[in-house]
Amino acid sequence: MSTRKTITRFAVVGGLCTAVALAATGCGAGGPSSTGSAASSTVNVLVEAGGHAELTGVAEQCKKDTGVTANFVELPYDGMFNRLSSEFSSGNVSFDVAALDSVWLPSFKDAVQPIDELFTDEAKKDIFPALVKEANVDGHFIGMPAWTNAEIILYRKDLFEDPKNKADFKAKYGYELAAPTTWKQYQEISAFFTKDGMYGTDVKGAVETEWLAHVLQAGSPMVLDADGKVIVDNAAHKEALDFYTSLSKSAPSGAAQVDWAAAQNLFNQGKTAMTRFWAHAYRQIPKDSPVAGKVGAAAMIGGSAGVAGVPGPWYLSVPKATKNTEAAKKFIKCAYDYNNLGIESSLGLAARISAFEKYQDKPGYESFKPLIETLNGKATATRPSTAKWQQIVDTVLVPTLQKAVAGGDSAALLADAKKQIEDLLK
Amino acid sequence: MRVAERTRPDGGKAAAVTAGTSLPSTTQAGGRRRRSVNREGLEAGKRSTRTLLWILLAAAMVLYGFPFLYLLFTSFKTPIDTIAVPPTILPKEWTLENYANALGRNGVLASFINSAQTAVISTVLSLVLAVPAAYGITRYKTPSGRVFIMAALVTRMVPPVAIGIPLATMMASVGLADTPIALSIAHTTISLPLSIWLMSSFFEAVPRDLEEAATVDGCSRLGALWRVVIPVVSGGIAVTAIFAFLASWNEFLFALLMTAIRSQTTPVVIANFQTQFGLDWGSMTALAAVYSIPVILLTLLLQRKIVAGMTLGAVKG
Repeated sequence: MSTRKTITRFAVVGGLCTAVALAATGCGAGGPSSTGSAASSTVNVLVEAGGHAELTGVAEQCKKDTGVTANFVELPYDGMFNRLSSEFSSGNVSFDVAALDSVWLPSFKDAVQPIDELFTDEAKKDIFPALVKEANVDGHFIGMPAWTNAEIILYRKDLFEDPKNKADFKAKYGYELAAPTTWKQYQEISAFFTKDGMYGTDVKGAVETEWLAHVLQAGSPMVLDADGKVIVDNAAHKEALDFYTSLSKSAPSGAAQVDWAAAQNLFNQGKTAMTRFWAHAYRQIPKDSPVAGKVGAAAMIGGSAGVAGVPGPWYLSVPKATKNTEAAKKFIKCAYDYNNLGIESSLGLAARISAFEKYQDKPGYESFKPLIETLNGKATATRPSTAKWQQIVDTVLVPTLQKAVAGGDSAALLADAKKQIEDLLK
Repeated sequence: MRVAERTRPDGGKAAAVTAGTSLPSTTQAGGRRRRSVNREGLEAGKRSTRTLLWILLAAAMVLYGFPFLYLLFTSFKTPIDTIAVPPTILPKEWTLENYANALGRNGVLASFINSAQTAVISTVLSLVLAVPAAYGITRYKTPSGRVFIMAALVTRMVPPVAIGIPLATMMASVGLADTPIALSIAHTTISLPLSIWLMSSFFEAVPRDLEEAATVDGCSRLGALWRVVIPVVSGGIAVTAIFAFLASWNEFLFALLMTAIRSQTTPVVIANFQTQFGLDWGSMTALAAVYSIPVILLTLLLQRKIVAGMTLGAVKG
């Protein structure tokens, strides 16, 4: 009967485990309730995992100043949209403040509250113009920018300052080797450094933002014009795409699969001499990287319309379904007031111009001046305000770009993309 | 007097051997030699088969084990080593920094407790529901039973994301948002169909005579199930429990949709190392390695039961 004993033992242990688990289940091991009660001084803040650090300092300061305590719910970026959609549609939210990617604002505009009172004249002057415009959806401000980013140029200072490289480059191209400011310079410098197993730059076929920045530099709005008409096949889009794909010969092969992570790895491994990348990457170069301490930063290159980048801000919004509106707004006010605290976090970003300016001359923050210059670029603009944007990116823009970097005909691809986007927007 | 004609390993006919007859010594010596040659041939055949099996087993182990080993080695690499181009298998420099980062992160311990709670509840729920369901289906063999067991598979045919969002909404509406019990129920919807099918095959393998004998000895139907059938299929229950536990322990999508501060499980915490601003490979692999330890221990602990359960299913009919 030893088997029976074993079974009985299993049943007893299983039963005990279940009893203990069920007893503990009432609250879970993670802490307090996640559904904020009315008029509570605790707010639950839903944030993408990478952005948590940005708001930690703000939360500490907010507790001291206003007594509002923030609990953070961290989620991976890939699952956040689904989670937000699910909770907003159920009308039962587990958070009082949500950090929203800028591309989601049009999708969730009906689920979040206006926060017009926080956008004072003083605040509007201290936030980059493109962000003020983006935060305003249908006449109301629905999100306060918590931090923003934009692509700038990161380059290998040691290679650019090498006397032999300088002399060779001048002899070949007739001007001094320095951080590029134009498309032509970027092409030539990339070609110059492509030798001996090294590449001048990367070409990212798996992400669309960089090509769209070049579209802005070429003088056109991205994909849709002000009236919502699809213009993805206009001359500027084609010019930008041709420039983008022309860099393939100075970049590692397999461009169609290169995304942000792959491009960052290539640069940090010392395989590429330059990269167009989000500014935060300057401060995230590993200490044991062969390029640590050898990297310079410059503003994004300019085309015929001048310097331009696509800002990558995150906004703090208050869901309509929260019972804790007052505390949520207090937290957002804190996030604005103490915006500079985000700069000292591991991500090292902010949204206020004054916060960036405060740090721009400090050692270690050399990327801030180029970032400010790019965000203030006259052609810099945010993505089109359409709820279908993510779908357009995933199903049309990225596949188009991947075919283009693999050698496809740019005019035909853009014509096809136009038709697909028009179908999506019908 | 029987005459046996034996075939030599090389295919030639051996001399006839007459049992019980005294043979000349040269013939006896020849027979011994032939038997010895036969034995050696068989031994050599067995050795080569065994070697081949070992090679196949080693290849299978490498195939299945390599991804885990790569994960394990990556967890000991320095940050720059984790993103090396081209990648290296072994760390150039071994470090425990990733483990310190991963385990020092806020909420990691709580997420382990949540994962364990959820997996235990889900496993028990699956077994409590699957064992009687499978027993009833296999023993009574009614048309509705057959429909039921096919219908149980329907939930496996729908993409989890399609039921994840409605489930999350339902749990929130009954006040179970962000609790391990809600996640356990959701996980049970994944493991229950598989558990019913598995248990059905194990019950099929148990001869009815055993139950009838128990009934003759005075057992009720339920008594026979509890005292006779369940002990016989204990290996199968262990296998089913392992599958149900693993399905919950490693599940990501429902956990992502249904948990927040209180009940977030470790797979979501592991995914949080991939952010929009970068991917911390070292910490992610370190936490994944630690998270796999309980499953490895559980599998080793129940190894004999699992093997017994698998062979139980194999001898039916």
